[in-house]
Amino acid sequence: MKLRKIGASILAMAMATSMLAGCGETAAETTTDTQATEQTSETAEPAADTASTTEEAAATTEAKNIEATEITFWHAMNGNLESVLSEITDEFNNSNEYGIKVTLVNQGAYGDLQTKLQASAAADALPDLAQAYNNWLTPYLDKIVKLDDFVANDFDNWDDIVSAYRDECSEFGFIHAVPYNKSTYVLFYNKTMLDELGIAVPETWADVEAAAKTVMDSKNIAFIGYDDLAGAVEASLHQNGSDYVDATGAKFNDDKGLETFTYLSGLYNNGYARLVGEDGYFSNVLSNQQIASYVGSSAGVSYIKAEGWDLGVAPLPGNVQKAANMAGTNIVMFSQDSNKQLAAWEYLKYITSTDAVTKWAVGTGYLPIRQSSYETADYKAYMEENVCAAACYAQAKDFFFSPTFDASNDIRSTVPSTVESLVYDKADAQTWLDTVVGAINAQY
Amino acid sequence: MTSKRNIANVIGVVLKFTVLILGSIFTVLPFIWMISSSLKTPSELVQVPPSLFPAVPQWGNYKEAWAAAPFARYFINTLIVTLCTTCGVLVTTVLSAFAFSRLNFPGKKTVFSLFLATLMIPGEMLIITNYETIIKLKWIDSYKAMIIPWVSSAFYIYLLTRFFMQVPESLYLAAKVDKCSDFKYMIKIMVPMNKQAIFSIAILNIISSWNAFLWPLLVTNSQEMRVLSNGLVRFQTEAGSSTELIMAASCMLVMPIIIIYLFLRKYIIEGVTRSGLKG
Repeated sequence: MKLRKIGASILAMAMATSMLAGCGETAAETTTDTQATEQTSETAEPAADTASTTEEAAATTEAKNIEATEITFWHAMNGNLESVLSEITDEFNNSNEYGIKVTLVNQGAYGDLQTKLQASAAADALPDLAQAYNNWLTPYLDKIVKLDDFVANDFDNWDDIVSAYRDECSEFGFIHAVPYNKSTYVLFYNKTMLDELGIAVPETWADVEAAAKTVMDSKNIAFIGYDDLAGAVEASLHQNGSDYVDATGAKFNDDKGLETFTYLSGLYNNGYARLVGEDGYFSNVLSNQQIASYVGSSAGVSYIKAEGWDLGVAPLPGNVQKAANMAGTNIVMFSQDSNKQLAAWEYLKYITSTDAVTKWAVGTGYLPIRQSSYETADYKAYMEENVCAAACYAQAKDFFFSPTFDASNDIRSTVPSTVESLVYDKADAQTWLDTVVGAINAQY
Repeated sequence: MTSKRNIANVIGVVLKFTVLILGSIFTVLPFIWMISSSLKTPSELVQVPPSLFPAVPQWGNYKEAWAAAPFARYFINTLIVTLCTTCGVLVTTVLSAFAFSRLNFPGKKTVFSLFLATLMIPGEMLIITNYETIIKLKWIDSYKAMIIPWVSSAFYIYLLTRFFMQVPESLYLAAKVDKCSDFKYMIKIMVPMNKQAIFSIAILNIISSWNAFLWPLLVTNSQEMRVLSNGLVRFQTEAGSSTELIMAASCMLVMPIIIIYLFLRKYIIEGVTRSGLKG
């Protein structure tokens, strides 16, 4: 009994000691954390305006004085894309004179990468570099390193970057990223079927309607489908000379908007267009010849299996003007340490150099981000063999990107389901317009 | 009279089997669909009308899916994490349930209420704070990060406590008279008497741990530490997904669970029927 009491006292003492130690540690950690947070916010705030001076200094004077370090790069490139990225990264790791080692970390698909970035931003544990879409970044924009001075002082001809990509990467009023794996929406079509029916590749909405009628009459299948319904609405509005959305709300509640939805609702209500259903992408539907064409990302060309028929790829049809959605992510820098920033910048410069960009584009099917890449012999040869690359190049001047603001993510996820229900209801154009405008404005 | 009864019996049997067969079809069809899809070509997958079986089974899909990611490593990791969390959950659940159901200590009801209160907080809300804790502990990319946060569960503790409470107190008192220690009583009497409930908890935990996706993704960075469910997203990109490969990988992912089920189905069915739990 006595022994048990002694044992209990020892246990109680041990517990009390460990609790006290625990408290002490927490307090210390809290202080450090607070300091760290204060420091971060102090540096982050002026980073918007004055960090440029520090970075300018870093970019110019310290550029050749980088200590060996390890850079972590979170990406969502799988399969062959990952192999090519690894190859280019290995080349950088082996060739750079500073001993910089870039570690690639695969974070699954885009959705997973987005989740992990958001959680890591909340936990202050962001990587040095990460692929990201602009609309992921709004919750943690303050944690992004501004690249204006790096670009101004230590980059090989920023003007060589395709202008739409430059605009997208400076959407927030400063250069927040460098473009990397870029694609665009194109029209994939069954060339054999169109040739057989004597249909020319549609260049305008009127061509689409006429071709769709012919296909429906002779084959009883839909002519066109859209992998991304939100993208389809946005592109169609632009093609009709209308705006889509901005930070204040929908911008198409007018005649141009009504015309656009007359076109789209007409396609669906006449059976000229169809929804993709559970499969999620039209690549298999086209492969199976159950649709004559579809609008989807150029990065999806490898998913189309043209067995017994020939694949054609064309720029998106326009109406009063041409307009094509850009897709694909940019690379954002988060590292707060100035040496790591310089090291990460060396890597970004390397992978966006004309040679590396050409290698990336030829190896993966993504579009070159540099104009000079398009001019290289390698890429010219690639375009000759690859119909998709040629179509993308043909519409490069018509690229637009979706604007980013607080509600943009919600709008992007709301529009597809709204459009789907309008298609199921066989709604008229006015209902389309009212419903889509209402659904978008409800997100603000 | 007898013939009427016979007819009624036959109708009853026919109805019973019809319902059972329909039920089995509903339950098994998605599984058969998954297996058949894993053996189809991409174009067969979207064929209209759909075919139940592939014209020529594409066994190569399994080879391709297996080669797309280090699935062998993922498998070992998943196994380690599942076994460790399940063992941990069983130990903490049995000990806590015994303490709450049999032992008397000050603040017992308050502590139990606090445990119950944690059930009201959705797990998703805790993910970020738990992730921050893991970062501060420098546990990122380790088994500890995937195991330790999941070795106790308020829900399982609550559940087993209710089961333990149903064991008559007279047994406990009789054991005490025979100078049986609390621990021995728990191991020799309580655990065997409630083995179905404990089995159900183990099975539920194995399933949730085997299928866990978000947490392992958050707390790991290297391929060497990832688990099977993380491997499934390898076949999806922004522009398309290889459904046949996803299905092949899914078949490989669920196979161990099916094997466990085949071996332990007697216990699982007993556990489910006795405890009223199902996954």
